[in-house]
Amino acid sequence: MIKIENVTKMYGPKVAVRNVSFEVNKGEILGFLGPNGAGKTTTMRVITGYFPPTDGNAYIAGFSVTDKPLEVKKRIGYVPETPSMYGDMRVTDYIKYVGAIKGVARAELNGNVERVIDRCALKEVYRKRVGELSKGFKQRVALAQALVNDPPVLILDEPTSGLDPKQIHEIRGLIKSMEGDRTIILSTHILPEVSMTCSKVAIINEGSIVAEDSTDNLGRDISETHQIEIMVDGPENEVVQMLTEIDGIGSVSRSGGSYLLDTGKDRDMRALVAKTVVERGFGLLELKSRSLSLEDVFLKLVTEEEEVRQ
Amino acid sequence: MRNIAEIFKREVRFYFTTPVAYVVIVIFTAVFGFIFYRNLAYYSQLSYQLMQNPYYPQRIDLVLGIFAPLFSSNSIIFLLVIPPLSMRLFAEEKKSGTIELLFTYPLKDIHIVIGKWLAAVTILAAMLILTLPAPFMSFKFAGSGEWAPVLSGYLGLFLMGLAFLSLGVFISAVSENQIVALIISYGALLGFWFIGWAIEPGSAKPAAKIFEELSVIGHLDNFVKGVIDTKDIVYYVLFIFTTIFLSTQALESKRWRG
Repeated sequence: MIKIENVTKMYGPKVAVRNVSFEVNKGEILGFLGPNGAGKTTTMRVITGYFPPTDGNAYIAGFSVTDKPLEVKKRIGYVPETPSMYGDMRVTDYIKYVGAIKGVARAELNGNVERVIDRCALKEVYRKRVGELSKGFKQRVALAQALVNDPPVLILDEPTSGLDPKQIHEIRGLIKSMEGDRTIILSTHILPEVSMTCSKVAIINEGSIVAEDSTDNLGRDISETHQIEIMVDGPENEVVQMLTEIDGIGSVSRSGGSYLLDTGKDRDMRALVAKTVVERGFGLLELKSRSLSLEDVFLKLVTEEEEVRQ
Repeated sequence: MRNIAEIFKREVRFYFTTPVAYVVIVIFTAVFGFIFYRNLAYYSQLSYQLMQNPYYPQRIDLVLGIFAPLFSSNSIIFLLVIPPLSMRLFAEEKKSGTIELLFTYPLKDIHIVIGKWLAAVTILAAMLILTLPAPFMSFKFAGSGEWAPVLSGYLGLFLMGLAFLSLGVFISAVSENQIVALIISYGALLGFWFIGWAIEPGSAKPAAKIFEELSVIGHLDNFVKGVIDTKDIVYYVLFIFTTIFLSTQALESKRWRG
C-alpha cells in the first residue's frame, strides 16, 4: 500500500534523509521510530506530498508522489507533529471545509463530518472555535480532519506528543482500532507506544533506516545473543576466568556489581552456570536472564551506528 | 472549481470574522466620500460663478468636473488600502504553519492562488459598489449626466484594483511575515507608479516609451476620461496573469524548499 524507494531529501547541501526504503502492506500499522532530528518528519512529508523528494520516489496505492501528487493526496490523511489549523473556524465548519477540499461528495459530506466527530469524541466541543480548544482536543480535531474523507492511508507524526496520559491512552486506542481497515504510519520516539500499537517497526537514525521488521521479531533477531546477569561473591579475575571457561558462554563483561554473560540464543544456560559457580565454591548471590527490550535494541542500533560512523 | 470555491468561501469568511474587511471598507468609502464632497462643493461653486457671468459657458461637464479628478485621486487611496487586503493571504498561512496541511490536501497551487485572490477581489468589488451612490446622487441633483464615462472610470478602477491585488498576492506568497509583505507591496506599487516619472515628458526614446507603458497608474488615465482602450485592458490583464503565475511559482518553490 505504501512503498518508499530510495528516498533522499536534501535541504540545500544538508542531507535530511538518505536512501530510505521501506514498505507497508495494507492494514498494517508501522511504527516509525527514531531520535529527534533523525528524519522522521521529513520522510513523512515526502509520503504526504508536502514536498517532493530530491531523489527516489514514494508510492501510495501505486501512485507516485512526484507524478500523481493529487491522486496520492486524495488517499492520505495526515496529522502533522504540531497541527496548525484555522483557529478562527468552528470545529464542524473546519472539518466540513477540509472534507469539501478533499473531494468528499456533497451528499456524503454532512454524514462523514458527523461520523468523524463521533469517532474522535468531539461532540462536546463541535461548536467551539478550533483556536479555543485544549491541546488534546486540537489533536483530535487534527485526527478528524485526516479521517473525514475516509482515506485508506493515515500518516501520523507523533500523534501523542504533549498529551496527558489519559488522552495518550485514548488516541492510542483509536489508532489501534483502525488496524486492518487502514494502513498507518505512526512516528514516535516513545518506545512502549510502538510495542503497544504497531505491528511493524522501522528505525531511522541520522537519515537512514537502520532496522525494519515486525515488532516481535525485532527484539529477537537483532540481538544475536541472549544475556544472563549474574552476581557472584569472589575475587573478580578468578570469577571471570571461571565464567569464560564454561562451554557456550560467549563473552563476560562487568556491569555495576554484576557480570553480564552473552550466551547463544537457542540454549538456556542458567542451570549450567549456577551449577558451575556453586561447585567451584563461589557464592551465588543472584542470577537472572535478560532479553533485549525494544529499548535496548533501539539504543544498540542507534549507538552502533554512531560508532561505525566515527 | 469546487476547490476554488471552498478556498474562496473560507477566505471571505475570514475577512469578515476579523476587522480587516470592515476597516478597509470604512476607510476607503470615507476618504472617497470626502474627496467626492470636496469636488462637488467646488464644482457647484464654480457653476454658480459661471452662471453669473454671461461671457462664460453656461454648462460645464459633471464628469470632467467631479468624477475624473475623483477617480484619479483614487489610485492613491487604492495604493494605501489594497495591500492590507492581500498581505496576509499567504504570509499568515506560512507563519502559523497552516500551509503544511494545505499543501497535503489534493489541491493545485493555482486553485489556492485563484481562490484567495477572488476572495480579496470580492472585498474590492464591495468597496466600489458602496461608492455608487455618489454618481447616482450627483446625476439626480444635476438633473442630467452621462453614465458611460463614469462606468468606464469604474471599470478602470476595478481593473487597477485587480492588478494591485494580484501583485499583493504574489508578494504575500514570497513573504513569511505580513508586515514585510505589506511594506514590500507599498514599495512595489510606488515603484510601478514612479516608473512613469522616470522619463522626461515627451521623450521619443524607445526606452522612455516602455517605461511610460509599464506604469500601473498611467493606464487608468484613459478610463477616467471615458476612453476604453484595448491597450489599457491588455496591460492590466497581462499584469494580472503574470503576477498570478509568479504566485504559483512562489508556492512551488516553497514546496521544494520545505
